[in-house]
Amino acid sequence: MEQAIALPYKWWAQALTVWFIVSVVIYLIVAVPGIYFLFKYRYKPGEREIGDHDVEGHWGLEIAWTIIPTLIVIALATYSFAVFKKQRTVPDGAMTIKVTAFMWGWQFDYLDNNGKVIKTVVTGYHANDYNLKDFEKPVIPAGKPVRVLLTSMDVIHSFFVHPARITEDAVPGRTTYLWFQINKPGEYWVFCREYCGTGHSHMFTKLKVVPPEQFTAWLYGKKAVAIKSN
Amino acid sequence: MREAVHVERPYFLGTLREWLFTTDHKKIGILYFVTSFVFFLVAGLFGLVIRLEQAVPGMQVVDFKTYNYLLTGHGAVMLLWWAIAAHIGGFGNFLLPLMIGAKDVAFPRLNALSWWAFFGASVLVLLTLLPGNHIRMMWTGYPPYALNNDAGITALYVFIIHLVGVSSIATAVNFLVTYLTMRAPGYTFFKTNMFVHTLIAANVIQLVGVPSLAGAVTMLLLDKYLGTNFFNPAKGGDPLIYQNVFWFYSHPVVYVQVLPIFGFFSEIVPTFARRPLFGYPTMIFAVWGITALSFIVWIHHMFVSGVPNWIRVLMSYTTLLIAVPTGVKIFNWMGTLYRGSIHFRSQMLYALGGIFMFLIGGLTGLPNAMVALDLGISDSLFVVGHFHYVLGMAVTLGILGAIIHWFPLATGKYYPENLGKLSFWFVFAGANIFYFFQMVVGILGNPRRYPDYPPIPEWATLHMVQTIGALILGVGVAIFTYGVIKGLTSGEQAPENPWKSPSLEWKVGTPARAHGHGDHPPKVEPDWHPYRYDKEEYFKG
Repeated sequence: MEQAIALPYKWWAQALTVWFIVSVVIYLIVAVPGIYFLFKYRYKPGEREIGDHDVEGHWGLEIAWTIIPTLIVIALATYSFAVFKKQRTVPDGAMTIKVTAFMWGWQFDYLDNNGKVIKTVVTGYHANDYNLKDFEKPVIPAGKPVRVLLTSMDVIHSFFVHPARITEDAVPGRTTYLWFQINKPGEYWVFCREYCGTGHSHMFTKLKVVPPEQFTAWLYGKKAVAIKSN
Repeated sequence: MREAVHVERPYFLGTLREWLFTTDHKKIGILYFVTSFVFFLVAGLFGLVIRLEQAVPGMQVVDFKTYNYLLTGHGAVMLLWWAIAAHIGGFGNFLLPLMIGAKDVAFPRLNALSWWAFFGASVLVLLTLLPGNHIRMMWTGYPPYALNNDAGITALYVFIIHLVGVSSIATAVNFLVTYLTMRAPGYTFFKTNMFVHTLIAANVIQLVGVPSLAGAVTMLLLDKYLGTNFFNPAKGGDPLIYQNVFWFYSHPVVYVQVLPIFGFFSEIVPTFARRPLFGYPTMIFAVWGITALSFIVWIHHMFVSGVPNWIRVLMSYTTLLIAVPTGVKIFNWMGTLYRGSIHFRSQMLYALGGIFMFLIGGLTGLPNAMVALDLGISDSLFVVGHFHYVLGMAVTLGILGAIIHWFPLATGKYYPENLGKLSFWFVFAGANIFYFFQMVVGILGNPRRYPDYPPIPEWATLHMVQTIGALILGVGVAIFTYGVIKGLTSGEQAPENPWKSPSLEWKVGTPARAHGHGDHPPKVEPDWHPYRYDKEEYFKG
């Protein structure tokens, strides 16, 4: 993969691979001897009537399998800390979109450097399908970091940018944040990931990722018509 | 020992009056367990409908609202009626006094009150079956949604939690006092059955934690009906207060659910490996290590809730540390198999299956604890698959194994061995197919609590595979249930101490005598230990 499709997906996927390898190794280290014992120490009438009663523990072993896992989990936690820092540190020069969640849709306000709204897009509730009209899709530039400021008008929702594998809750009365960057133009899913009632599974949108020049034209072009289609 | 010549009537042949007014720990245990098992079957059917709905994209079986009710019911009932009531209310009541050589629990009438509070909560749960009473706030009941009319009747949810809470707190007090004051002479801390150790640890968590949950839902009630603003940001409240107070109990509660299961594994594995539990003292420290750590990890349920970054990192470390004592337990079970003489009775299959699946449940817990990974999988089906490895498999396999194991003690009969084995392979295979692919679709991004999902081809395929697994699992549970009925009606008569165990609960006959150990606690020899099988009486095949 020359250029990752998205950030922080790239680091997340690396961390997932690390976890997966560590887990498979640990599983094999524990399960293979366990299964071997099951075959080797089967009850055999006349030969192995009763299990060993001399070895009821082994302090060296028990200390080892306390200390080694402790070191492994501290290493994993520290690695995760390092990745987390990158996931939660918004790069300089990121553009800002304010996302207000509601039951069951989203309002996207594109802010300029002074916090003034340049443009607004609203994705309404589509109870029966996953199709959106073009004007309901928020547009972002490819290859540019986007900071999302999140809040909610009613209950708690969660803004999950699918290709970037990043989530943050939209909590009424609070402003939370996340950032992401998508490098390849295309259309990508955004889902609500905090249970919010009847329309939860149809609270989604599609991010339209376009080349930066096209994005600028879109942003400063004619205002998108904001329609809540219920 | 009393030298009675008359034939004693088994405890379970009481009249209706005796059952209704009983304070006998065995009868109360059975009442709990039967309720628990019936609710397990109903919540399992709920689960099957939920799964069928997701088999293909679009809505085919139920509508959104019904789905949300079924999911709320499935979660709440499986967690509170199955994963707590079955082994604490059911097995805990039945076994605790018998295992420690006591006559009954310390406060038998308080125990009856626990049961009746639990029964009241059960009635309220049944009331939610009526269409107008559906509650749809999920078992977590997060505000502000839980206060919204879309979520159903808030008060019903709150009162269910309150009644279960009363029952749990009373039981916790009862069990702790029983263990502290009523052990047979010689039955010391380091000779206590692991099931009792885990049961006591679980009840310490209950005693400390349940009031916190009760407080959280009480604030919900006040906000909804009396106009307080604990969770209303417009008036200075904060919905995240609820999550903090809720998870302060509701994370430790997973150890309430799983610790007694570790107890079951620790009883069954040595008995059928015919060998002392490996590393018994470290097992005890592991239990208490888990108990202590369980109260300082709750933020991992709130990693994406908007709490400050530093607390997420801190609790990521503490959460991962819990893997250490949990791992110690698994290593010790493996050590118990080493140089054993292993009998593959059906309860041993259930216990071993439970341990190996718990290992997967533990390893797939790591990415939920690693905060960087959790940002990508939080509230996805990965989380659901992970906790079903723990709750749907380790806990359920543990309880089913325990039913088979103590069936003779409760009924005097064997659970049919062939049905035990057959049901095990169905449950084991079905659950693995189901939950493994649930985790995969979660990694691919499918959010949880979704009745419908976009027609992404990989997602649809994985949902179909899961559904097939769920059906196999359903067949397994049906076979198991049939086995329970068959065992009760025409099971083979079990002899005294059928598994040749030195553990004290087997010294009261099969089925357990009406008065258990009676007023004369069993004699505990200085060299006695619940997991020592090298005496002649246990040694013979």
